[in-house]
Amino acid sequence: MAPPNISRRGLLQLGGSVALLMTAGACAAGSKSDPKSGASAGPAASTLRIAVSSYLSSWDQDFVGFDLTALMLFKNVYPYMIDYGVTTAGDSQILDTANITPTFAESFEPDSEQKVWTLKLRQGVKFASGNEMKAADVKWSKDRAFAAQANVAGIYRTIGLTKAEQVVVKDDYTVEFHQEFPSALTRQIQAISLYVFDSVEAKKHATDADPWAKEWFAKNAPTGGYFNVSKATQGQEIELSANTGYPGPDGAKTPTIRISVVPAAANQRLQLQAGDIDVALGITGQDLQDLKKVDGVKVLSAASNNQVAIQMSVTNAPFDDVNVRKALAYAVPYEQIIKNVYNNDARPTKSLVPLDMPGYSETGYPFGYDLDKAKAALAASGKTAVSSELVFEANNDEQQKIAIQVQAEAAKAGITLKLTPLDPATLGERRTKKSIPLQITTGQLWVNDVEYMLATSFVKGAALNYSNYSNPEIEQIYTKSHTTVDDAARKALWTQVQSILATDVPWVIICQPNFNLPVREKVAGWVQPMDGLARLRYLSASA
Amino acid sequence: MRILRFVGRRLLQLIPVLLGVVVLTFLLVRVLPGDPIRSILGPNATEADAAAARARFGLDQPLWKQFLDYLGGLFTGNFGTSIQSGSPVSGEMALRLGPTLELVVIAVAIAVVLAIWLGIWSARRADRLGDHTVRIFALFGNSIPEFWLGLVLILVGYAALGWFPAPSGRVDPDTNLTPLTGADLVDAVLTGNGPAMASAAAHLVLPVLTLVIGVLAPLLRSVRASALEVLHSEAYAAAAAHGLPERTLLRGYLRRATLVRLPSLAALVFGTAIGSTVLVEYVYSWQGFGQWALRGLLYRDYPVVQASVLIIALCYVLIFLIADVVHAVLDPRVRI
Repeated sequence: MAPPNISRRGLLQLGGSVALLMTAGACAAGSKSDPKSGASAGPAASTLRIAVSSYLSSWDQDFVGFDLTALMLFKNVYPYMIDYGVTTAGDSQILDTANITPTFAESFEPDSEQKVWTLKLRQGVKFASGNEMKAADVKWSKDRAFAAQANVAGIYRTIGLTKAEQVVVKDDYTVEFHQEFPSALTRQIQAISLYVFDSVEAKKHATDADPWAKEWFAKNAPTGGYFNVSKATQGQEIELSANTGYPGPDGAKTPTIRISVVPAAANQRLQLQAGDIDVALGITGQDLQDLKKVDGVKVLSAASNNQVAIQMSVTNAPFDDVNVRKALAYAVPYEQIIKNVYNNDARPTKSLVPLDMPGYSETGYPFGYDLDKAKAALAASGKTAVSSELVFEANNDEQQKIAIQVQAEAAKAGITLKLTPLDPATLGERRTKKSIPLQITTGQLWVNDVEYMLATSFVKGAALNYSNYSNPEIEQIYTKSHTTVDDAARKALWTQVQSILATDVPWVIICQPNFNLPVREKVAGWVQPMDGLARLRYLSASA
Repeated sequence: MRILRFVGRRLLQLIPVLLGVVVLTFLLVRVLPGDPIRSILGPNATEADAAAARARFGLDQPLWKQFLDYLGGLFTGNFGTSIQSGSPVSGEMALRLGPTLELVVIAVAIAVVLAIWLGIWSARRADRLGDHTVRIFALFGNSIPEFWLGLVLILVGYAALGWFPAPSGRVDPDTNLTPLTGADLVDAVLTGNGPAMASAAAHLVLPVLTLVIGVLAPLLRSVRASALEVLHSEAYAAAAAHGLPERTLLRGYLRRATLVRLPSLAALVFGTAIGSTVLVEYVYSWQGFGQWALRGLLYRDYPVVQASVLIIALCYVLIFLIADVVHAVLDPRVRI
């Protein structure tokens, strides 16, 4: 029916056009970014390439949401006056939460009552603008934090800092922090809060409507930290350059770090294998196991204080009954989860206080998988069967796997669980309302101390206290701990805490998975951050 | 002149449509469960801190006041401030819309051209091997999920063959491209940046190919069905019986009549692609509009959700307007 000459020509035109586009693209690709050539040559030792899962949502630490990429970057680009040291644990290097040392500051010391802390700045330290870092910058930064009524203002309350007037400039290089009470947590809280803005530069961008230059800081990177941001391509890549003016110990070991955004874990894996990236900060599960067998790639493993737990609402039925909570605690297949979900790369734990936290005691969680005991505990509650929803984060594969295994075993003990995955906003709202009877939680505390753990998770009204748990004895111990600075006395308090929690069972504590990081063979110096926020200054790569 | 009047009339009709979208989106996003404020506060935040944050974003105001503020902002191009980032939504959207539009426009344009040629070619060989091949291809394209196809193309094009750059962005940052529109290839051309042009083109190939395969199928099937209808029509049979040359038959009788239905379908495909590129963007680290809108929805970032829905609606109505004009040009029976 159709004369072949016309249709063939048409097809040729069409095919030619498509081929032209593909060839142009392929040629262009080959001209610059051939992954094979990249793989063979490898990056220069002066440059390290890291993949992360998302671009940061804002550069403004005072107003940013809970954005782990942003918080990790902030640790490296904001000048923090003090920070954790480094210690060795087994084969790993980890941040030493018991040893907090001055970095950009010269010293940070308390008076004899431990209520007034004096921060002395080093002289001659400069921001990228050329402005010298002075006491006025610290004061402006803390005034801004209090005005923000967000991240830092919230955490400062735990050490008795509630208003800007408590931060006093003594001279150009000295600032005092006047706490309402002495606290053993001061160094730890200040280690995560004492970052400083270039206030001279900031004031240039402040307006009457925006006195704290929020709009400017949301889009412009801070300067003066271990690294300065030399280039930021929105959504794609951030280039960090080592701050050669850093005056303290442990300066950045790699002159340039390029952080590229690769959301899909599968792509991070491919790029790591091809040598296009050196560190992949977004690979989990089976990809990690597979990468252990790949030439040129190694998977660093370090103990972590990340806890996986199931929080049971003590005010919602059926878990308002302690015997039902005990029944679930006996019905959870702990070892099976460690084996099947974490490939045996997780540590079993016997307390709600994390392993490695000072004061940890094995008496804190006297439960193991035992269906007979689970049934007996349920019978003690006067019930033969209960049902509840089990909430977990949507798109969290690990939590989903845990939920399925818990559901199967709990059913054998007479506890019927309906699995409910929730998106972040719905989960956040229901958590605020404390309306979730049972939920899987994963997370690590930013301060390695039981007082902080109580403040965030176990006292009345604490934001992470999704169980809605409260116990007058715990409240009393928490209040007492504010002013107890002696180590032995604090540990005695923590023993009491664990004994109470073992009786009340507000959580099922499942395990502490190890942290795994796939990197190219040439990468060295990784220091496991106990707050989960990588300090890139320790990383290096051989040529 | 008649077309201009038609366009003017349709543009006026846009106002109530978009106003409806604005009202509905504003209300619906607030009906959804989820608190946008809690997600931006630290673990030690109190109710007072949450109240302060609500006040910062005007969420402490009565609903009618929030709506009037939002509506007033729209008239001045102010879409509000993102709750997650604290940045103006208009600025964020400008950065995100360009890359997605570039991807979708190129993909849909290629898909339309391919659909026209392959659809007519296939219809003229109905029930022969070539026709079956094209139809199987269309079925295949319609059936495979785009994210899976994207991963396969990356595995082959980047990891195995090494022909294409790593899927980690839209252009090599070392080309120092100055962003103007957010569409990197366009920006590279406008700024005369040769290396950026090559890099942007290279980065575009695989995501465009993924989208083309995904959107080609419905267009192809539509063109083929229309072409078959025309080929079996009396008008075409009469023209062929009069011995008109094949080229005249193809251009004058078959192609134009076949394409009458295509603009509406292409508009639909375009609108859908704008709103659904999120998976392709995820797989190729594209950082476009879809990912931005999805994150806004997941965290109930009201201003971001409102702006993204409004823009998608605007894209839909504008593209359908263009489709109607093209339809009128192609089909003399249509009176506008």
